[in-house]
Formats: sequence, structure tokens, C-alpha cells
Amino acid sequence: MKTQFNRRSALARLGATIAGALALPVARKAKAAVQYFLVSSGAPKGYDPKDHKWLICVDATKCIGCGLCAEACKKENGVPEGPYFRTWIERYIITKPKPGSEETRGETLVDSPDGGMHGFPECPVPKDQIEQSFFVPKLCNLCEHPPCVQVCPVGAAFKAPDGAVLIDPDYCIGCGFCVQACPYGARFLNPITHTAEKCTLCYHRITRGLKPACVEICPAEARIFGDLKHLAPDDPLQQFYETHRTQVLKPYLGTEPRVLYAGLDEEVR
Amino acid sequence: MTSQLTNAATEVMPAFTGYVYPNEATAHPIWSVLIVVYPYITGLVAGAFIMASLVRVFRVKALEPVYRFSLLTALAFLLCAPLPLLCHLGHPERCFEILMTPHLTSPMAVFGFVYAWYLMAVLLLELWFDYRHDLVVWSKTESGFKGILYRLLTVGVTDLSEPAVKLDARMGKILSIVGIPSAFLLHGYVGFIFGSIKANPWWGNPLMPIIFILSAMSSGIALCVFNYQVLTWVRRREMNMRCLDTMAMFLFYALVVDAAVEALDWLHRAFAAEEGFQVLQVMIREKLFYTLSVGQALVGTLLPFLLLGSLQLLRRRVPEVVRRRMIFSSAAMILVGVLAMRWNVVMGGQLFSKSLRGVMSHKFDFTGGEGWLMGLFLLILPFIILAMLLRLFLSERLPSSEPGPHSAAAASLP
Amino acid sequence: MRHFRFPPQLFRLVLLTLAIVGAYLVARTLLTPQSFGEYGWYRGSALAEIASRTPVFAGKKACAECHADIAQKMAQSEHKTFSCEACHGANREHAMDHDVVPAKVPDSYCLRCHEGNPSRPSWIKQIVVKDHYGEKCSDCHLPHQPTQSP
Repeated sequence: MKTQFNRRSALARLGATIAGALALPVARKAKAAVQYFLVSSGAPKGYDPKDHKWLICVDATKCIGCGLCAEACKKENGVPEGPYFRTWIERYIITKPKPGSEETRGETLVDSPDGGMHGFPECPVPKDQIEQSFFVPKLCNLCEHPPCVQVCPVGAAFKAPDGAVLIDPDYCIGCGFCVQACPYGARFLNPITHTAEKCTLCYHRITRGLKPACVEICPAEARIFGDLKHLAPDDPLQQFYETHRTQVLKPYLGTEPRVLYAGLDEEVR
Repeated sequence: MTSQLTNAATEVMPAFTGYVYPNEATAHPIWSVLIVVYPYITGLVAGAFIMASLVRVFRVKALEPVYRFSLLTALAFLLCAPLPLLCHLGHPERCFEILMTPHLTSPMAVFGFVYAWYLMAVLLLELWFDYRHDLVVWSKTESGFKGILYRLLTVGVTDLSEPAVKLDARMGKILSIVGIPSAFLLHGYVGFIFGSIKANPWWGNPLMPIIFILSAMSSGIALCVFNYQVLTWVRRREMNMRCLDTMAMFLFYALVVDAAVEALDWLHRAFAAEEGFQVLQVMIREKLFYTLSVGQALVGTLLPFLLLGSLQLLRRRVPEVVRRRMIFSSAAMILVGVLAMRWNVVMGGQLFSKSLRGVMSHKFDFTGGEGWLMGLFLLILPFIILAMLLRLFLSERLPSSEPGPHSAAAASLP
Repeated sequence: MRHFRFPPQLFRLVLLTLAIVGAYLVARTLLTPQSFGEYGWYRGSALAEIASRTPVFAGKKACAECHADIAQKMAQSEHKTFSCEACHGANREHAMDHDVVPAKVPDSYCLRCHEGNPSRPSWIKQIVVKDHYGEKCSDCHLPHQPTQSP
């Protein structure tokens, strides 16, 4: 007798749960209506992420190492001071081999003081001992198979339909897994918001028809930006990949970066 | 002007040699001491559980006295396992998202479900079926808070008829069998969190989950040995030498397998000497010398191997007191060694740049949310919980209810 | 035939499991954001939120709307690839409100690109400051048309 009574009350509880579940859609609609009126995103209207495919390419032979891009990026995106960069410039100095060493090259020195955003100090190697020296701008490589997105436990890191790899700052739990998974060091944990951050391709600019800050500011046209779905006949992006032999960074990891580099050396990684 | 600025920049981070990506030049590591504690605790859970399964599944009679004890140990540590992860998050208040919208390609997201499965469907259930008879009896004899707790835990089922008790035993066995792969899964997944990061040559390694499981087994058994000896000392009871010797035997075998596979991993790395090997060598020589060569290899593996190995050969000739001390110190050393191994894995992977051109040094705070103190607290907390669990469920004052194999043993022991 | 009775402890467990799974499903419907899954495994509204940030750099087009004369001159000079804000700094505030006066470009700013540096590609004109005549760059060079003198 007693068990039956218990069973009945349990069934009643189960029924209440089901009724609650049925009432949910109504509640959600109400919630959505409230959100519609109270929360305005202020985002540009009429932008369809499925109608674009953005891409930045880099012509490393053009980079003069002024660091304006890294500086502009911090300003444009409010990136905190310190070792936090969405884009940066590396300087490579490859020395001549020691006489009689039968090697083709000497040492490779790389630096990026403060991300290169204030330019570079004097070359630490005398000019006559340098075999090769050049600058390489770095940014998110916009991987086709981004490992950072793959490891995000909650779906805060994602690849938008327009090709940008983004982070939802209101959804990121700040676990740091994506920072560890990015082979290019393009991500960091923002010490103020405690969420992961990275290059957004200046998403707030490109959705308004502006160029990303680093592309806008680069005086040497080392960064080429365009929309693969709306290429003009003389589009710089198309000209770039038609006239240059390109390569990507760390291709053996299978991330298939979409950012193409022209004029890289084997030492760059 | 520019040179002044860059000088200032280099002064901020003098702890880096070679080139590291600008984003890697942070003072603190992305994954702090807490992420060292996390796989350590999870490993202890898996190991302690497998130790208990030796009784249920493999019918190792000598270990019966520690069956419940090792299950409770596993529970105490499992309850603490997600805490270090949670404390480490930038936004702990958003942690529910892992369960609400789990991104199934992420090892970390799946861990949430593996954890829930292991805790609720395996460990708690197995304990419940094993304790059900006792809980019903205790809920009648005990009063006050304990009485209420036992009554709650019976979930209102008071049936102690013969078929019901038989069913409990059968369910316990089934859960034990399900539990072994689950324990492997639990800790294998922790290994996979690191092993899946292909960007990092120190972590991205298919052997990682296996190494984690094997080291988990030796550390979990070592924990049971350690706790068992401490508990008999605290309760001033006679030690069951047959049980202790058997635990030491399994500890030795776990250690041998673990050491062999880890050595295989090392050999492979050294022989293949892939792209990142040079920078890894620098790191091992300079940054990880004490934790790797001394902590992991010497203290954690070689010394206990010699101690336990000699006991396997000369058990009869070693007097009991010496044997106890040898086993106790081996267990303690293995516990330290496995902690060092977790440190080497977690910190090692963050000591070199992914540009493979430089190594970094990190700062570790003493206090603060991710400091040493917090890590230490999270290491001690499971022992406190275990002490409470022992008071509630392995107390000497509780009447032993049934002359069955497990509960009788439990009552006879510590 | 033996009368089958569903074991009471299993019955309770099944109820408990249903309750837990039910609670999870209810929590999931309540706590999953509205737009989750619109484009993929993420909040679709995150796109608009990320895009809602206000730009800091106005862009060359905005400058050319008022300063068409300078823009035209520059288009023929060696500095034709420049964005105005490369030297003048971010000036969206000035573009929105002309009463906001933009900061002056420092004298030595040219050196940021033109100071000799062995890492720079050879196509850019570089000088060694101590071997170069004059004190101020703008004494001899018009920044907007660098090959011409004032």
C-alpha cells in the first residue's frame, strides 16, 4: 500500500515536470519579446554574414617594420597594455655563417619588442655580418580547421560564415584552452575581461564597409584585404594571389590557414 | 625614442631566452598550479577505483579489507576533482555553459559528461548498492543528524529481503565492471586534454592518455596504501599485513608498467627528434631538472622500484616493521613522483614558445586565486572530505549489520 | 510461474535518473541562449554584438570628404598608398565633429619608416640621420608630396 502511494506521488511529480516543459516555449517567447524591445545591439543593420568571405593576405617583402599596424590594432580594439597582441611584427636577422663552417647560414635571431608597435631597436648585428633580414607581420591565420575553435568547450570560439574566427566575449568562460591550442600564438587571455581574445579582422569595421585598422594604416600595402565573394576585377587581393607564390605558416599541422604569405623564409614559423 | 621604449619593454620581461611570441610573454602561465592539481586528483580517483575493482571484479580476497575504504577515497577525491578547474576559470559563474551547450569536439566539454557519468552512474551507485543494507540498518539505530542522513540515503527503500540483497550484490559487481572502463575513460580524457593539443610538441602525443592512466593507477594505489597505513595508525588498530603486502605487490606492478610506457615515450621522442626536440632538450636540462630527473625519475620511480622490487623478492625475510616502513615510504615517494610528473606535463608545455625559438620562466604567486596556497588547499581538501566520509560510513562505532563478505571486512578493519 | 516484482531499489533509481535527466533538460532549455545554433555551435547574436563596437579610425574615405584637395595631391605622390591616419593618428572624433582638433604630427615622425635599418626592404628610401642634411624633415620635404620641396 505504502509503495503504491509513493509511486502515485512520484507520477504526479513527473506529470508536473512535463507540464512545466510544455509551458516553456511560451515563457521563451515572452523572454524573446522582452529582449527584442529592451536590448538593442547597435550593430550595423543589413549586414549578412553569409554574403561575404573576408581574407587578409600578407606580402612580407613589403613590410618596413614601422609597427603602425600593431599600434593601430591596440588602439582600435582597446587591447590592454602589456604582452597582449592581436597582430604584431617579427624581425628576423639571419647572420652569415662563420668562415670555413661549410654552412649556408649562421644563426637566426628573432625579436618582436612590444610586438613591434613602437618600431624596432637598432640591429644587434653589424650590417656586414647579416645575410638576410626582414620583417614578418603576424595575425590570426584564419584557419580552415581552427584548433582553437575545436577545443572551445562551450562554443564561445567559432568560425563565422564570413570567414572571421571570433570569440563571443559574453560566453567565453576563460579556460585558456584555445590559447594553448593556437599554434600561432595569436590568442591571449585579456587580463581585464578574463576572456580569450584575438584578431576579429576588425569585425566592427568590416561590417561597416571599412578596412581592418592594420590594413587601413599600413603605409606599405603589406597587408591585402578583400572579400572573396565580391572581388572587383582589379581587386588587390586577386592581384596578390595571382602574381605571387604564396605559402602558409606551419602547414604540417593541418590547420589549413587561409592567410597567405608571400616572400617568407624557411626560418619563419 | 624607439630604442628607449624597447629597452623598457625588455626590462618587463627579462625571464625569456630566445624568441617567444609576444602573447606568450605573460608573467603568469595560462594554466597555473591548479591545472597541475586537477589531473593529479583525477588520477588518484581512477587509481583508487581500480584498486577497489580488484576485489569485486578480479576477486583478490586479500584486498577485501580496503574495498570500501578505497571506494570512499575515490569518492572524496572525485568530489574535489572539478574544483581546481572551476577556480582557474576566468568566469567561473559561466561554468554551467559546459553542460548546457557542450562543444563535443572539445575534450574539456566531454569531460563534464564523463565526470557526471563516473560520479553518479558508477561511483555513487556502486557505493549505494554496497551500503544499502547497512544504510537501512543504521537508519533505524542511529539518531540525530546521522540518522537523518542515513534515512535520506536509503531513498525510502527499506527492503532487506533476500532477493533484494542478492540484487544489490549483483548490481555492485556489474557497476564495478562498468566502472573499470569508466575510470580509464575519466582519466584518459584528462590525458587527452593535453594529448590533443597538436600545436604543442610536449603535449600533442597519442601516448598521453595511456601515460596518464598508468600513472593514475600507481598513484591511486599508492594513495590507498598511504591512507590505509595512516588510518590504522590513527585508529591504533592492528595492520592486516596480508592486505598491505598485496597492495604493495599491485603497486609494484603498476609502477613497472607505468615506468616502462613512460620510458618508451622518452625513447621515441629522443629517437624521432622531431622539430621541437632542440628546445625541449633545453627545457629538460635547465627548467625541469629538479622535477623531472629528481622528482619524477629518481624519487617517483627508481627508489620505489628498488624498494618494492626487493620486497617482492625477499618478502619473507624482511621483518614486518621494516616492510611496513618500506611500503609506506615507497607509496609516499610515488605520490610525490606522480605529482611531479603532472607538474612536468602541465608546466613543461608552457615553458617553451610555440615558435620553438625560446623558453620562458613564469611567476607563481603564493596567495591569490591561482597561487600555491590555493593549490595546497585543494590538495588537502579531499583528505578532509575523506575523514568526514570515514566518520560517517566506516566508523568503528557503527554496528556491523550483516556477516557478508564486504561489510564484515569493513567492520573488522580500521 | 513466479510472480515478477520490479525490485524497489531499481524503481527508485529509475525515478531518480528520470528526475535528474529531466532537470537537466529543463535547465538546458532555460539556460541555452536564444540565438545559439543560428549559424553553428555558438550564439548567432554574438556576431552583431562584436560588430557593435565603435570604430576608432575613420578611414581614408571619410578624410577625403572634406580634404579632397590634399587627397588629390597625395594620389599622385609617392605617398599615395597612405591612409591619412597613418601619420595623423586615429581621428574619427574629428571626422564626426570638426571642432575636435586633431593632434599635430611630430617632426621626427618620418623616421619611423625612413630611418635606415638593415631589416627594411631596399625599395623604401632610408636615411642615416647623422649623415642627412637639415634638422627638420619638413624644411626640405612636403609630407604629402615627399619629392617636392616647400
